[in-house]
Amino acid sequence: MRISVRDVGAAKVVEVEGEVDLSTSADLRRTLLETLPDVARLALNLGAIRYIDSSGIATLIEVLKRSQHLKKEFVLFGLSPAVQEVFRLTHVVRIFQVFQTEQEALGTS
Amino acid sequence: MSDTSRRLQIKFSVPSDPRYLCVVRGAVGTLAAVIGWDESECRAIALAVDEALTNVIRHAYHNRTDCLIELECRESADGLEITLLDNGDSPDRSKICAREIGCDQPGGLGTHIIKQVMDKVSYEESPDGNRLVATKQLRRKT
Repeated sequence: MRISVRDVGAAKVVEVEGEVDLSTSADLRRTLLETLPDVARLALNLGAIRYIDSSGIATLIEVLKRSQHLKKEFVLFGLSPAVQEVFRLTHVVRIFQVFQTEQEALGTS
Repeated sequence: MSDTSRRLQIKFSVPSDPRYLCVVRGAVGTLAAVIGWDESECRAIALAVDEALTNVIRHAYHNRTDCLIELECRESADGLEITLLDNGDSPDRSKICAREIGCDQPGGLGTHIIKQVMDKVSYEESPDGNRLVATKQLRRKT
């Protein structure tokens, strides 16, 4: 799994590529929780994720709850087919703000 | 040669180290494709097996990486049977699928995924250890 973070105005975009499972979800968790306090909006690109398991979904839920506590926006965009399937199986899509594109996720479209 | 002997049976001794999960997913997904499931279903079956292994690593072995999980994937006449055997702590049955699915709590999703993907799931404690058996039937398109 590869993670990168870039600034887009007052927001940050986190890009994740590869597989998120029990062996990698801690790295994703650390990056997201460390980045969140510094921005008004954190957007996570899930388009290049080939695999995500329940530990990855649990990480996203934890970051969402932290963002609500800190009064920050945590949004997702570009869900890959693998991510969409796991969201469907776990019925969690309704708790997140999900967008198709980065522009929509950042409110710049 | 009997019909049963012509079906594939794979046995893994999987160390309880999460870095091996991707190896098992790859093998299980490929086996499911050969049996006849489509790409999406193969991903779901591999996910269900991954979740079962993850639960053993986290809850039976408490994230110790030096234990073993016996995994058997057996092609059956009408689908696939998965058996996991471990020697860790027994699962707390009151916590299996205990949380509400779709809520905003981060834990406990794995057992829901296994139950949704597989047709039948059973847990039992045996003299050999904790055994999970999960089966899925292939519904052939006519």
